[in-house]
Amino acid sequence: MATNALARLPDRPAPIPLWKRIARHGWGYIFVSPWVLLYLVFGIYPLVLSFFLTFFNYSFVTPDERTFVGIGNWIRGLEDPLYWKAIYNIAINQSVFIILKNGLGLLIAALLFRIKYGGRIFRTIYFLPVITSTVVLMTIGDNLASPGGPIQKVLIDAHLLDGPLFWKADQTLPMIIIALINTWKWFGISMIILLAGMYSIDKRLYEVAAVDGANEWQMFWKITLPLLRPQLFFLLVVDIINGLQMFGEVFTIGFSVYGGVNNQALTPVLYLYAQAFDRSNVGYASTLGLMLAFLIAALTVFQFKFFPAEDE
Amino acid sequence: MKYLRSNWLFMIVAYTILIIGAFAVIYPFFFMVNNSLKTGREIMHSPTALPTEVSFKGYTGVFDELNVLLLLKNSMILAVSITLLNTVLSALAAYAFAKIPFPGRNQIFGFMLMTMMIPGVLFLIPTYVLIYRIGWVGHYQALIIPSAISVFNIFLIRQFMVGIPDELVEAARIDGAGEITIFLRIILPLARPALATVAILTFMGSWNDFFGPLLYLNRPDKWTLQLGLLQFRGTVPGENSEQIWALTTLITVPIVLIYFFIQEQFVKAFANVSLSK
Repeated sequence: MATNALARLPDRPAPIPLWKRIARHGWGYIFVSPWVLLYLVFGIYPLVLSFFLTFFNYSFVTPDERTFVGIGNWIRGLEDPLYWKAIYNIAINQSVFIILKNGLGLLIAALLFRIKYGGRIFRTIYFLPVITSTVVLMTIGDNLASPGGPIQKVLIDAHLLDGPLFWKADQTLPMIIIALINTWKWFGISMIILLAGMYSIDKRLYEVAAVDGANEWQMFWKITLPLLRPQLFFLLVVDIINGLQMFGEVFTIGFSVYGGVNNQALTPVLYLYAQAFDRSNVGYASTLGLMLAFLIAALTVFQFKFFPAEDE
Repeated sequence: MKYLRSNWLFMIVAYTILIIGAFAVIYPFFFMVNNSLKTGREIMHSPTALPTEVSFKGYTGVFDELNVLLLLKNSMILAVSITLLNTVLSALAAYAFAKIPFPGRNQIFGFMLMTMMIPGVLFLIPTYVLIYRIGWVGHYQALIIPSAISVFNIFLIRQFMVGIPDELVEAARIDGAGEITIFLRIILPLARPALATVAILTFMGSWNDFFGPLLYLNRPDKWTLQLGLLQFRGTVPGENSEQIWALTTLITVPIVLIYFFIQEQFVKAFANVSLSK
C-alpha cells in the first residue's frame, strides 16, 4: 500500500495558464525591458542592416543615391587582391601572436604556480601592460623598436644586426613586430587564466606523482598540461575571434589606413575601415565585414569540432 | 635529499626567468617616464640614458599645447557614464534572467547567447550608418548609448546571481518585499563581486578606447585623452618629443593607480571571465 501511495505522489500540478504566469512574473519584463529596447535598436537593427547594405552601393556623401548591385559586392570582395593580402597578413600576425602569447603565459604561469614567495608581485607586474591603452603601448613600442631605438642598438652592438633596420617598409616584418608588441601587452591574460586553471587541479595528483618519483618536467607534461585543456581551448577560441579583427595596433603605430605604401601592414578590419571612411564604399565595407565574420565563424566551428575543450 | 636538490636548482632557474621577465615588462614603462623628464634634444641623442637634469618642460608643454584638463574631463565623462549605464542595465536584466521565471525568459536568453558569438566587426559599419542617420555623430551619446548593451556583461552577472540561493529571494517575497526591494537590498549587495568585475572591465575598456572616439567625436573639444594623444603625436616636432612622453605618462597614471588600489579585483575580473565559460 505504502509503495502505491508513493508512486502516485509526484502527480503533476495543474499547469498554470500562460497569462497568469505572465502576470505573476510581470516584473521580469520590466527588468529586462530597458536593455531589450536598446538591444533591438543598437544590436539587432545594425545586424540586419549589415546584411542589407551588402547588396547596395552606398555612400555617406550621397546617402540617397543608393544603387542595388546584388551580389556584386561579394564578387568584388572575393576578387580583391588587397583583401586577400590583408587576410595573409593577419594570418602571419596571429600565428606568431597566439603561439608566443599563450606559450609565454603558460611558462610564466607554470613558474608562478611552483614558487613560494613573491608570486603576487610578479603577477602584478606582468599584468601591467594588459591594463595600459593600445595607443600608449604602441607609442612606446614604436620608439623602442625604431631604427636608432634602444632595441636595435642592443642588437647592433651584439652584432645580431648589421645596421639600422627600417622594418616598417619591409614586406613581412611589420606584422611580426606588431605581434611581438601585442604578445608583451596580452600574455598577462593567458598567465592569469592558466594560473587559475592550475590552482583548480587536485593537489593529490602531484603528491602521488612525487611518491612515484616523477620530476617537475614530467608532472608538467603529464598532469598540468592535459588538465589545462579547457582553459587553453577558451584562450584559443577568444584569441582567434579577437585576433582576426586586429587593426587598431597597426593604425596607432603609425601606418596609414591602407597599412603602408605596399599594404605591408594591412589587416582585414583596417581595409574595411579604409573602404568605408576613406572611399565611402559603405556597402562594400559591410560585405568585407561579413566575409571576415564568416571566416571567423568557420574557424570557431572547426575548433569546436576537432579540438574540443573536453575529450568525448 | 636528491629531490630537494633538484628543487633548489629549479627554484633558481624559475626566479631567474621571472626576474628577467619582470624587467622586460617594466622597462618600456620606465622608458616612458624617464623620457618624460628629459628635454627633446636629450631624448633624440640618448633615449635610454637617465636625464642629466630633471625637466618638467614636457608636462608644462602639454598643458600649453593641448587642453589636457578638457581631454581628461571628456574621458572621465565618457568612462563614468558608460560604466554606470552598462552596469545598471546589465544588473537589472541579469536579475530577471537569473531569478524571475517569466515566460519567454529562456528563449530571450538563448538568443542573446547566440548573438554573443558574433564578431564585433559586423557591427562597425551598420552602427555607424545608424548613428550618422540619427545625427549623433559628434555627441557623447553616440558612444554611451550603444555600448550600454553588452551581452557579455549580463551573462557574467547572471552566472553569479544564479548562485545566490533561491530561498533568500523566496523568503523575502513571503515577507512581502517587492521585486525592487529584493533587487536593491538582497541581490545587489550579494552580487557585488560580479558587478565589480563588470564595472572594472567596462571602465578600463572605455578609458583605453581610442577607436570609438576617433569614429564619432570629430570636434577637438570633444576629444578624449587617447584620441588627443593619437592626434597630437603626428603634430609634435621632434625637439618637443618630451611632450609626447609626458602625455603618455599622464594617460597611464590614473588607470595604473586604480589598478594598484584594487589589483585583486582586476586580476579576478579577468579570471572570472574565463571561469564563467
